[in-house]
Amino acid sequence: MNNEVDNREQKKLVGVLGQFDDAHTLVHACEALRDSGVKKMDAYTPYPVHGIEKAIGIPRTILPWIVLSIAAGGLCIGLGMQWYTNATTQLLPFWSGYEFRISGKPMFSLPANIPVTFEVIVLSSAFASFFGMLVLNGLPKLANPLHRIPRFKRVTNDKFFLMVDVGDDKFDASQLRNNFSDWGATDVEEVFQDQTDWKLPAFLKTFAVLALVLMLVPPALIFRARGMTYTGTRLHVVPDMDWQVKFKTQTEGPLANNNTTTEFFFQDIRAQFDDLPGTVSRSDQSGDSEFFKGIRTGSDLHSSHTTPAVLASNQEETAQEETTATTEATAADEPDWVTTIPSQVKVDRDTVLRGQRQYNIYCAVCHGYSGEGNGLANNRAVALSTSGESAWTEAKSLYDPTVIDQPVGRIYDTITNGRSTMGPYATRIKPEDRWAIVLYVKALQKTRKTAVSKTTEDNSAGDKKDSGK
Amino acid sequence: MAITVDNLTNNTFEDPSRRAPLITGGLDNEGVTEVVADLAEAPSPPRIWWVLLAVSAALTTMLGGLILLLIFKGVGVWGNNNPVYWGWPIVNFVFWVGIGHAGTLISAILFLFRQHWRTSINRAAEAMTIFAVVCAGMFPGIHIGRVWVFYWLFPIPSEHLAMWPNFRSPLLWDVFAVSTYFTVSLLFWYMGMVPDLATFRDRSTSKIKKFMYGLFSLGWSGSARHWHRYEVAYTILAALATPLVLSVHTIVSFDFAVSIIPGWHTTIFPPYFVAGAIFSGFAMVVTLLVPMRALFNLKHVITVRHIENMNKIIMVTGMMVGLAYTIEFFIAWYSSNPFELFAFQNRAFGPFWWAYLAMFTCNVFVPQLFWFKKIRTSMIMSVIVGIGVNIGMWFERFVIVMTLNRGFLPSSWSYFRPTWVDIGMFVGSFGLFMFLFLLFCRFLPVIAISEVKGTLAFQKHMALAGGYSEDGDH
Amino acid sequence: MAHIRKAEITSPITTLGGESTSRVVPALLVVAAACIGGAFAWQGLSNRALFLHSYLVSYMFFLTITLGCIFFVMIQHLTKAGWSVTVRRVAEVFGCGIFPMALLFLPILVLVLTGDSSLYPWVNTTPAASGAPEWAVGDERIFDIKATFLTPFWFGIRSVIYFTVWTFIAFRLYSWSVKQDETGDKNISLKSQSFCAPLMLAFVLCLAFAAFDMEMSLAPMWFSTMFPVYIFAGCVLSSLATILLTCLLLQKTGRITDEITIEHYHDLAKLCFAFIFFWGYIAFSQFMLIWYANIPEETFWYRFRFEGGWVVFSLVLLFGHLFIPFLGMMARTVRRNKTYLLFATIFLLAMHWVDHFWIVMPQWKASVYEGYFSHGEPITSSQYVVWPGFVDLLLFVGMGAVFLASFCVVSGNRSLVPLKDPRLHEALNYDNP
Repeated sequence: MNNEVDNREQKKLVGVLGQFDDAHTLVHACEALRDSGVKKMDAYTPYPVHGIEKAIGIPRTILPWIVLSIAAGGLCIGLGMQWYTNATTQLLPFWSGYEFRISGKPMFSLPANIPVTFEVIVLSSAFASFFGMLVLNGLPKLANPLHRIPRFKRVTNDKFFLMVDVGDDKFDASQLRNNFSDWGATDVEEVFQDQTDWKLPAFLKTFAVLALVLMLVPPALIFRARGMTYTGTRLHVVPDMDWQVKFKTQTEGPLANNNTTTEFFFQDIRAQFDDLPGTVSRSDQSGDSEFFKGIRTGSDLHSSHTTPAVLASNQEETAQEETTATTEATAADEPDWVTTIPSQVKVDRDTVLRGQRQYNIYCAVCHGYSGEGNGLANNRAVALSTSGESAWTEAKSLYDPTVIDQPVGRIYDTITNGRSTMGPYATRIKPEDRWAIVLYVKALQKTRKTAVSKTTEDNSAGDKKDSGK
Repeated sequence: MAITVDNLTNNTFEDPSRRAPLITGGLDNEGVTEVVADLAEAPSPPRIWWVLLAVSAALTTMLGGLILLLIFKGVGVWGNNNPVYWGWPIVNFVFWVGIGHAGTLISAILFLFRQHWRTSINRAAEAMTIFAVVCAGMFPGIHIGRVWVFYWLFPIPSEHLAMWPNFRSPLLWDVFAVSTYFTVSLLFWYMGMVPDLATFRDRSTSKIKKFMYGLFSLGWSGSARHWHRYEVAYTILAALATPLVLSVHTIVSFDFAVSIIPGWHTTIFPPYFVAGAIFSGFAMVVTLLVPMRALFNLKHVITVRHIENMNKIIMVTGMMVGLAYTIEFFIAWYSSNPFELFAFQNRAFGPFWWAYLAMFTCNVFVPQLFWFKKIRTSMIMSVIVGIGVNIGMWFERFVIVMTLNRGFLPSSWSYFRPTWVDIGMFVGSFGLFMFLFLLFCRFLPVIAISEVKGTLAFQKHMALAGGYSEDGDH
Repeated sequence: MAHIRKAEITSPITTLGGESTSRVVPALLVVAAACIGGAFAWQGLSNRALFLHSYLVSYMFFLTITLGCIFFVMIQHLTKAGWSVTVRRVAEVFGCGIFPMALLFLPILVLVLTGDSSLYPWVNTTPAASGAPEWAVGDERIFDIKATFLTPFWFGIRSVIYFTVWTFIAFRLYSWSVKQDETGDKNISLKSQSFCAPLMLAFVLCLAFAAFDMEMSLAPMWFSTMFPVYIFAGCVLSSLATILLTCLLLQKTGRITDEITIEHYHDLAKLCFAFIFFWGYIAFSQFMLIWYANIPEETFWYRFRFEGGWVVFSLVLLFGHLFIPFLGMMARTVRRNKTYLLFATIFLLAMHWVDHFWIVMPQWKASVYEGYFSHGEPITSSQYVVWPGFVDLLLFVGMGAVFLASFCVVSGNRSLVPLKDPRLHEALNYDNP
C-alpha cells in the first residue's frame, strides 16, 4: 500500500483514514463518529458537501469579522490618503501633501473621493478574505502525510475520506477500522507521518545559502557606490523629452518625413508660418515710443529699463501694490509719460466710439460699463475674496483721484502691460485701439463734474471729448 | 422517474416541474474530472490549437512592435487629434473593460443568485475577464505618453515629483478601479482554481507538472474545515466583486459623464455602461465557449442550455441598453438644451451616422433574434449574434467618443480618421487576448471541476425531491 | 442529507379568513375615507398646493410599493425562480392594489385636466411678461418643447396607458396563479413566463415615464436620465421590505405556517441588502454627476434640498436609507432573526416614505427659492422647510387603509401561498449555505 514500508520505524501514526464512495454515506459516518464521542476528526471531499459542517461540528468561521475590520481600515486609509495628499500641506515633515485647487472643487471633495475610497475598501477586504482564508486554513501546506497515500489522490476526483486524528481521546485504531467498515467505508487504512518529510533536501539548502549570498550583492554594491563620483557618461535609460525634435522659429523647417525630400511642414521650407491676418505685432514697435509705449521719445532710453522692473514688482508683490500704487505715481524713476494723444490717432467722435466699443469688450467686465470699478468679474471676485476663497485686488474706479491725475501715456501703459491683478492686453488690443480706449476713459472721466476741477493738465484730451460726445 | 433526455444535446426543454439537467451524458464525478483533465493531459493539443496559437502569437508580436513604435515616436502615430483627442485608445479601453465584466458577473452575481448553471462556464469566463482587463489596461497605459513613468499614476511618495495624483479626477479613479478589478478578479479566479489545480496535481505524472500544480494548489487536501472557510471566503469575495463589477464600469462612465460635454454628461451613464458591459461580456463568452465546447469535447458540461441562458441574458441586457438609448434621446429633447439636442442629432444623423446605425442595429435589433428558441439554441446563430453584439458595442463606444468631433467650436469640427497603427493595435489586442486564452485552455482547468461536482450533488438532491430530471442512464 | 419535504401545503389556515375580511374591509374603507377626507378638510381647502404635495408623497409611497410587487412577481416568473414560490402570492396580491391606486390617482388627474397648477407648475400656460410661462424661465423656445410633452391632455393619456398596462399585468398574473391553485396545470407557469417577457418591457417603459411624469415634472425645468432608475431602486427595495414584513406578520398571526421558512426571510433580507446598496449606488451616481459637472440648470434641484432645513432630510436619507441599513443588514445572523427583521423592514419603509417626501415636498414653493437663488442669497431661514405633520400622517393612514383593504379584498378566501405551483417543492426544500 504505502511505497515506503521498509522504514516504518521512522514513521509516526497520525490517524485512521476511511474511504467512502459517496457523500451521503460520509455524512452519516461523520454523524455516527461524532455520536461516539470523537472530536478530532476531519472529512476530505472533492467538493464542499453541504450539511457536513453540522455533522462534524465545525464552528462558523470568524473570517467575515476579520474582513469587516480590514474593510473599516480600508475606509480610513482610502479617505485619509485622499485627504492627506490633496487637502493638506506640510502636515508631516516628510512626504507633505500637495494642496491644489482644481476645477473649482473643494480641496477635500467628499463626493469625488467616494470612488477611490470604495475601491480601496474592496481591494483590502478582498485581500483579507483570500489571505485570511489561507491563514485560517494553514495553507499553503505543501507537506501533508495524506498526500503520501496513493488512494488519497482520488479525494480531488470522486472519493470521500474521513480521518480520525491520533490525538483524540477516543482514538482506537482497530475499533475505528471496524466502525468505518460498518458505516460503509470501502477501505480503511492507517496514516503515518514520514519523519523524513521534515528534512530539507540537500540541494535546497545549498540553493538557499547561495541565494542569500547573492541577495547581499546588490545592497553591498549600492553601499560601496554611496558618496562616490561617477566620471563616465551619464546613463540615459529613457529618452524622456531630452532629445525631442523641435522647430526653431525663423529657420528652415525640418523634413516631416526623413526618407523623402519633398514633405516639409510648410510649403516654403520654413519652420514657422507667416503672421495670420489680424495678428497684433509686438516685435516692430520699437520705432515710435510715444505711440507704442506712451513714453516721450526723449526719455525713452531712460524709461525702457524701468518699465519691466515695475512689471516685475507687480507680479511678485500684488499684495503690496495697493499701498505702493499711490506713491508710485510720484516716484523719481517714473517714465516721462506722454500727456497728449499721439498724432497718429485721430481725436474725433469715431475714435471715441471705437474706444467705447473696445472698452465694453475688454475693460467693462472688471471696471464696469460706467467705469466705477463695479464690473461683474470684479464683483464676484470681491465677494470671493471677502469670504477668504481667493485673493483679489479690486479693480480701480476710473474716477479715483489717482487715476484722474494720470497722464494718458500712463493709462496707455496700464492697458498695454497690465498692473496689479490686471493682466497685459498688448497681445489682444491693437495700439490704435488702446489709444481709443484711453480717449474714451478720459471722456468718461470728464463726465463727472466733481472730477473736472482736478483735471488740469491734459486739457487737450479733455477738450476733444466735448467735440466727440 | 426521469424524462428521457437526449443524452447528447437536448436539455433545453421547458418543464416547470423539473429542472433540466445541467450536466448531460450521464457524467458522474469521475466523468467530469476526466472530461476536463483530458484537455490538459492530452499529449498534444488539436492541430487547430496550434494554428490559432501561431496566429495569435504573430498578432501579439505585432502589437508589441507597434507599442515600441508608439513609445519611440510618440502618440502622434495614432489618429488622435484636435478635436477628438480621445480616439481609438479609449474606445478600445472601454470595449475591453466591458468584455471583462461578464466573468465576474457570472462568478459573483450568478453565484449569489444560486444559479447553478454558472459552474460550467465561470472558470473560462473569469479567465476571459482577466485577459480582457489586461488588454484594456494596456491602452490607457501606453496612452500616457511617457510610459516609463507610469507609476506616477499611483500615489507613491516621491521626492522627485514632490506632489500627488489628483484624487478629484475620474481618470485617477479609473486607475484605482481597473487595478482593483484586475487584482480582485485574479484572486477570485485563482482561489476558485485551487481545488482544481489540486485535482491536476493528483493526476499528473510528469515531474514538472507535479511540481507546478503542487506549488499552486497550495497543498489543498479537500478538508471539510478548509472547504468551510473556503466557501465563506468565496461568498465574501463574490459579495465584494458584485459591487466592484458595478463600480468599474460606473467609474469608466464617469470619465465621460462628469464632464460638461453635451452627449457625455448624462446621469444614466453608470447603469447604462454597466448593462452594456455585461451585454458585450456575455456575447464574448458565448463567442468563445461555443467553439471551445466543440473543439475540446465539453458538450456534456457546457450544454446547449448554458448557451441558451447566456443568450437570454444577452437579450435582456441588449434591451436595457436600447432603453438607455431611448431615454437619453428623450431627455436630450425634453431638456430643451440646444447643445444636448444637437449632440444627439449629430450622433444619429451627423458624419458618423453609419457608426450609430451599426451600433443601433447590432445592439438593439440583432439580439431580438433571441426571442426565438430555435435561434437561441442554435450554436451557429449564437456565435453570429455574439460577434454582432461585440461589433455593436465597439461602435457604441466609438459613437460616444466621436461626439467630440463636433464640439462647441464649429471652426474645429473635423472628421476623425484612424491611422494604420490604431487598427494594428486593436487587431493586435485581439491577438494578445486569444494568445492568453489558448494557453489557459491548454494548461489550466477550463471548467470549475469541484463546483460542477457540487452542482451534480445538488441535481441529485433535488431529483429526490422530484424536481430534477436525471440522466436516463445514470 | 437534509430531510426532504413533500411539495404539499399542509398547514391548516392558509387564507386571510373570509369572515374576518368581511368585517375588516368596510372598517378600513371608513378609516380611509375619514382620514383622507379629514386631511382635505383640514388643509386641502386652505392650502391646496401644500395638501396636494402631501397627498402625492403618500400616494407615491404606496404606488412604488405596488409597482415593486408587480416587478417582483414578473422577475420571479422570468427567472423561473423556485425559492420564492411561497412568498410570491403576497406580492401578487399587493400588485393587484394597482387598481385602487389608479382610483387614488384620479383626484390628481382631474385637477391637472381642469387646469389646476397647484401641484404641477407646467399645467399653467399663462405667459408671463417675457412671453412663456414663468416655470419655463420665460423662454419660449424651452416652453415650445416642454409644452409638447407636458400638457394635461397627454399627461392624462399617458396615465391611462400606465395604469392599464400595470393593472393588466398584475391581474393577469394573479388570476393565472389562482387558477393554478385549483388545476395544478403546470403550463400556467410557462404561460406566465412567456407573458412576462414582452410585458416587462412595457412595464419598465411605463415605470420610467411615470417617474418623469409624476415626480420629475414637479420641477419642469429639471431633468436627469437616471431619475427613473432611482425610483425603480426605491420600488424594489420598498416592495421587498413590504413582502418581508407582510410574511412575518401573516406567519406571526398563524395565517401562514411552515410554508415560509427562515430561508425565505434570509433571502428576502439579502435582496433588501442588495437593493439598499443599489439605491445608494444610483442615488450617489445621480448626485455625484450633477455635483461634479456643476451646471446651474441641473444643480438647482439639489440645491433646494441641501439648503435651509431641507438638508436635514438629505442627511436622514444618507444615513437612514443607506449607511445604517447597509451596516444593519450586513450580518448573516441578523438576516435570520425575525424580530430584528420586523424592526428593520418598518425602518426601511419609513425611510422610503422620507425619500418621496424629499423628492416631492421641496417643490412646494419652489418658485420662492428660485427667486432667492437668482439673487444670490443663500437660504438660511428654516421657514421654507415643510416638516411632516398631522396631515401627512392622516394621508398616510388613509392610503395605507386603502392599501390593506385592497389586500384583503383581492386575497379574499384564497390561499396566501400558491398551492400547486410546479416549483413548490423547491421553495420548501432549500437552504442557504
